[in-house]
Amino acid sequence: MRLVQVNDAAWWWDWVAIAASLLLALLLTAALFHYSGQPVQEALSAMLDGAFGSTESLLETLTRATPLTFTALATVVAYRARIWSIGQEGQLLMGAISGYVAAANCAGLPTPLLLTATLLAGALGGAALGALCGYLKSRFAVDEIISTVMFNYIVYYFLTWLLTGPLRVKHAVYLQSDVLPVGATLPPLVADTRFHAGFLIAIACSGVVQVLLKRTAFGFEMRAFGFSQTVTRFKGIRSERLFWGVMALSGALAGLAGITEVMGVHGRLNTDISAGLGYTGIIVAMVAGLNPLAALVVAVLFGGLVNGGFMMQVLTGVPKAIVFATQGIVLLSFLACSRLARYRLRWTR
Amino acid sequence: MTDFFTGTIVISMLTATMRIATPLLLAALGELVVERAGVLNLGLESMMLLACFAAFIVTLVSGSQAAGLAAAVATGLVIAALFGFMTITLRTEQFVTGLAINLLASGLTLYAFRAYQIVSGKESPIITLLPNLSLPLLADLPGLGEIFFQHNLLTYLAFGLTPLLWAFLYRTRYGLELRFAGENPATLDTRGLSVAWRRYLAVLFGGAMAGLAGAFISLGSSVRFVPEMTAGRGWLAIVIVIAGNWLPQRVLLAALVFAFMNAFQLQAQALGLNLPYQLLLALPYAVAVLAMMLGRANSRAPTALGIPYQRP
Repeated sequence: MRLVQVNDAAWWWDWVAIAASLLLALLLTAALFHYSGQPVQEALSAMLDGAFGSTESLLETLTRATPLTFTALATVVAYRARIWSIGQEGQLLMGAISGYVAAANCAGLPTPLLLTATLLAGALGGAALGALCGYLKSRFAVDEIISTVMFNYIVYYFLTWLLTGPLRVKHAVYLQSDVLPVGATLPPLVADTRFHAGFLIAIACSGVVQVLLKRTAFGFEMRAFGFSQTVTRFKGIRSERLFWGVMALSGALAGLAGITEVMGVHGRLNTDISAGLGYTGIIVAMVAGLNPLAALVVAVLFGGLVNGGFMMQVLTGVPKAIVFATQGIVLLSFLACSRLARYRLRWTR
Repeated sequence: MTDFFTGTIVISMLTATMRIATPLLLAALGELVVERAGVLNLGLESMMLLACFAAFIVTLVSGSQAAGLAAAVATGLVIAALFGFMTITLRTEQFVTGLAINLLASGLTLYAFRAYQIVSGKESPIITLLPNLSLPLLADLPGLGEIFFQHNLLTYLAFGLTPLLWAFLYRTRYGLELRFAGENPATLDTRGLSVAWRRYLAVLFGGAMAGLAGAFISLGSSVRFVPEMTAGRGWLAIVIVIAGNWLPQRVLLAALVFAFMNAFQLQAQALGLNLPYQLLLALPYAVAVLAMMLGRANSRAPTALGIPYQRP
């Protein structure tokens, strides 16, 4: 069996690929429900209802889509330059830590100033970690795929150390810090929901990334760097600087994911801030074809999946863990389908 | 501290090192072969987790540990076949595919475990562990016997496989061909030898080894199943391959060093050391980054690692 490139593939094949992968994921999930003896129709409709069925659930979906949008944008920025960072998870945690520490030390400042400082510190924390991996790559040729994964673990253990030591609340049962100082939180925009201003920042960021990629010299250099590092060198672009610049930007976006979760949802540091949001962001970005605006849409879809999973578990008792498998299936079928949009499998000897 | 001088703590620390090294070594040896053939499998962590669950649930339901082991290996093979089809036949990006496999397999594990809990009504069922086999005579050696020769089947298998694998990779024709699939696949292709076929076999071997590693984590060390019980050991195995510079003997050494750090962390309190345990847990990862910084000059990384092969 061999893969043969089709040169005259029609433009709509890309859309066929997306539709086919979503359909395939739906079918496989339904099959999974069926063969594990769960009510297929009830479970799926509860999931849909929980995700988009009412204003409250839609807003909750958008709340869950917020960090995913940030980590997906972080992925888009890096992968467009063909820098394969998997460090969004660690950068997210680093952003949460640095933003929290900044807020705790700036308590008492006027609210607008405090909010800005907290957000900025969160972005900077993520950016610093990203730039470090970029520096390790350009100075020591340390592969970024592996180094970023290593730092995901190192930062996670750093966070648990902070929560058992320096930032620990006295007599607390759970591993968690004190709450953020007054004025450093993003309050709900709609009463009785968790929907906070972080989503608006996420929308703004996806616009900014889009403009950055399409309309600025930096974006052009980045994409050129992705095509060919030799060409960028001939053009006089310093590839090392570009490398850690892109990693810093990617890290800053992931850092925003962390600090907005702390400011808008958790209100304090704990070990559940991420729970895989960094890794899921990579999948969102890939399914969005590394397009920043599409990333927003796919993030809402994936946020809906997670949110719908909760409703499904409450209403039908079907374990919500299935949504992670579904996300994996979506990406796998998307990768396969987008391959098959440009290539055909031929049986050859 | 008298315990330290009588050696009790040292012996139990070294025994624990061997035990902790087992799943790391099994998974790392598998990954070593996969990467030597030019394929980067980042789905290792969840392949191990799903295999771990398969070993647990099949042992629990059938009452047979052999069936549990077989189920774990079969699970590893199935996931590896899926990964191979995607990356070798469809030539999708290897590390993204690995991440997708990670989500899929960990999601499936969690779902299946919860579904089992609901259907069976058992909250936390338990299984019997693999028995420790004392090797005749050797097990009676003072100190050494306990450290090296009173382990279960999988530990002996992991350590026994290391020299065999070295011999296969460096002393046989098939091993040479496999390494060529990762160094210079075009050469293999011009000689009329299939790159895809060799990569498939390597990936399947990696899957089987991940299966055994997962089986050890349940059958070899815990009577209960806990979601996420592989706890990053799959990623650590990938690091071990890098820290071991893609050489079997160094991979063995790296696995032992990382396992010792973990065993040391378990005993640090008993030794009266007041280090934060997170520092010791994070140490292997920091060491790996350092190893990569220092080791780039004589890196033995396969040249075509991570690059799908396409005939020019």
